[in-house]
Amino acid sequence: MKKEFIKETHHSVTLNVTAGKIDSFRELEKTTGTVRVYENGCIGIAGCLGEPDEDALTKQAIEALSFGIPYPCALDGALELTVDETKDIIKVSELIPTMQTFLDRLGKLCPKFAFSNKIILSDYTSEYRNSEGRHLVSKGNSFAISLIAQNRGSGNLFDTFLSWDGKEFDPDKVLAYFKEQYDAFFTPVDIEPGRYPVVSAAEELYGRFLQHFVGDLYAAGASLLSGKLGEKVFSDKLTARDDMNPKTAYGACFFDAEGCVEKDFRPVLVENGVLKALLTTKKTAQQYGLPNSESADAPYDGVPGIGFHGLYFDPTAKTLKELVPGKAVLMVIASGGDATPDGHFATPVQMSYLLEDGVVKGRLPDISVSGSFFDMMGKDYVGAVRDVPFKDAAFIAVTMDVTKG
Amino acid sequence: MIQFKDGFYADIRIEDRSRTVISYKAGMLEEMKNRKEKQAFLRVYDGKLWYYASVTDVEHLQKTLDGLYAAATANPGILEDPVVRRFEKNRDSISSFADCSVRDVPLKDKQALLLNYLPILSEESSVALPAGTYLDRNSKFRFLSSLGADICYDYQTCGLSFSFNMAEGDKKFAGHWQTGATRFEELVGLEETLRDAVREQAYFLRNSVQVEAGKYPVVLSPMAAGVFAHESFGHKSESDFMLSDESMKNEWQLGKKVGSPILSIAECGSVPGSGFVPYDDEGTKARKNYLIKNGVLAGRLHSAMTAAVLDEDLTGNARAIDCTFEPIVRMTTTYIEGGELDFDELIAPIKKGYFIKTINHGSGMSTFTIAPSLSYEIVDGKLGRPVQISVITGTVFETLGLIDGLTRDVELLSFVTGGCGKMEQMGLPVGFGGPYVRVSSMNVQ
Repeated sequence: MKKEFIKETHHSVTLNVTAGKIDSFRELEKTTGTVRVYENGCIGIAGCLGEPDEDALTKQAIEALSFGIPYPCALDGALELTVDETKDIIKVSELIPTMQTFLDRLGKLCPKFAFSNKIILSDYTSEYRNSEGRHLVSKGNSFAISLIAQNRGSGNLFDTFLSWDGKEFDPDKVLAYFKEQYDAFFTPVDIEPGRYPVVSAAEELYGRFLQHFVGDLYAAGASLLSGKLGEKVFSDKLTARDDMNPKTAYGACFFDAEGCVEKDFRPVLVENGVLKALLTTKKTAQQYGLPNSESADAPYDGVPGIGFHGLYFDPTAKTLKELVPGKAVLMVIASGGDATPDGHFATPVQMSYLLEDGVVKGRLPDISVSGSFFDMMGKDYVGAVRDVPFKDAAFIAVTMDVTKG
Repeated sequence: MIQFKDGFYADIRIEDRSRTVISYKAGMLEEMKNRKEKQAFLRVYDGKLWYYASVTDVEHLQKTLDGLYAAATANPGILEDPVVRRFEKNRDSISSFADCSVRDVPLKDKQALLLNYLPILSEESSVALPAGTYLDRNSKFRFLSSLGADICYDYQTCGLSFSFNMAEGDKKFAGHWQTGATRFEELVGLEETLRDAVREQAYFLRNSVQVEAGKYPVVLSPMAAGVFAHESFGHKSESDFMLSDESMKNEWQLGKKVGSPILSIAECGSVPGSGFVPYDDEGTKARKNYLIKNGVLAGRLHSAMTAAVLDEDLTGNARAIDCTFEPIVRMTTTYIEGGELDFDELIAPIKKGYFIKTINHGSGMSTFTIAPSLSYEIVDGKLGRPVQISVITGTVFETLGLIDGLTRDVELLSFVTGGCGKMEQMGLPVGFGGPYVRVSSMNVQ
């Protein structure tokens, strides 16, 4: 009988911040185990919280075959690979004093802001084995400072976020980076309604369109992309991948829930504007005759399903100035937008900055941005960059209609 | 028997959760499982810091508790701490679902219920990808504290969720319908309701037109009004947001006029449904709290910590999504109270406006947004064509002041998928609802 065994361990220490002071310490360790077995075209699954007893789970998984859940047995072959991206970041025993000192300095640098929310130090290990000789181990850790900033006296629940995640925590650099945003926040600027490049994290602008990349919808003809696999449908400049590479996606596991490993750990969806793949599992790939995107996800006791880990766009420029010369909008908080069934997208932008030649000039009033699916990924796609003012993360730029309010 | 130590406050929350998921897509069984989990969350407070631990090993809670005690510093005056003094010492046992637990319904009966409904989706020719899910949850909670609180209660939801992506030529529409209940038998006999929902959405696919963006009078259904109340004002009433900025207390003084005089928003954990929380996760008994009464700020939601800092009463709103997280201030069931009109009277004065019947999602900050799913024109006081709207938005306080009509009847809704998200804790079950609500002007895009 073909079999897969998966064990995942996640450990985190979380500090809660209220009014700039640490007021709680939470330690969490969570281990889960999964066994999947395959027989006669069906899958049987058993999972547990806590240290897994593989023999007991295997017995339960065999019993679960009686549910008759159809699933192809298509286990990948032998491969031994361990990727360990664990770095020395900060010792747990030093976390409270180090971060309270950091918060005290931040409070002095940014006196008009009241800070709250979380600081999280976490590490994980994911292990996958199957009966074909495949054995994969992904380990890593991450450190995230995620602070809500309230402009004192604004009456708002939050006015902006100051956040940083990485593996080389240099308090001076992070403080300088937060101070830059603080200064921009208190420099009001304006913009005339019109069409501008809008710079944003990719998920903010494209997240609502991900459903059109789902293999089931594509095959059913219910996706705006249906029938276009292999065709050039977007801008030549656009190459989009699912980022499972722990070097750029902190905390990511490099293999998917079915033990698939993609080159560079970044399965491609669109390459130079050509639709290369849809989001699939091994089941839906086989069912609909699609290439497997190798990005499945699964709960510890459930059938693998469509997964998506994070958008990665191949950079088209080295600097923000090169990407968006002239005026542009840097979108920081855009909550509540959506797309109509035919792909028209609109969202209010609660927090944004004006960029001029890649430099932050100040904070814009509330605006709205809008565009349509094929234009936003087609003629209006400007490009992507990993060098941005505040953060070493991927940002994209799309020309959109910008209106006030 | 747990041994609590002097010099500290401590509490333990244990959840024994059973959850069933059965799902089909395109006629094929996709998932069938019954997950049983037992977890505990422990808290120790020494007057300066809270120390938390989440464990799956519920047989050795004393060991985990002792580990937290070792990290904290004993405080002889802990019982006089203003937070500790707020905690209630309730001792109670509530068993609302012992006679109808979904744990006792055989898996094959749940599967048969779902299979009975699935063919209805395929009766409509435009449905390209029919899918349905049966979900249930039964939880048994126990709460113990060093002050002597000892509470047991149970919680139950069950429901059906259907999605039916539709396609006809270039027209696409993501159809969906779901219902939530607290008893399995409430999910039987809903064939015509589901059939009507599918037909209406197919009509929308074929006949909806793009909205003309602008400012219009808008009528919100109980679903949209409930989400509006939750997003626009409920989150603002969660008083943990007031702890960091002292000026917030002045900005949000009780008694301040914040909305139309016909508007009252209430919040209550004892309402049956997905927001049912007879005792919160700090052992506080549920009670009805007004957030807005007759347009005036009447109250806010609290944990013991926020009640102590703001010197206000407990409200029963300290909640966690599960025993992985600490309780924070959250909503339970939030709703707008009813008015004096019926639906026809509500839309009669509108020359041109829109009716938001169902929604995809909503969010709220200084401006709120609602992303509608099914919307209709209102022309000369009558419902007209279906319209595609990306989003409706407004400034929260301006919009609260522009509410100028409410129907008499209030509908409270429970859902079995989704839920409320707040920072790291996503998907908390909540209830919401209200009457049909007329707003004299909103931005429609």
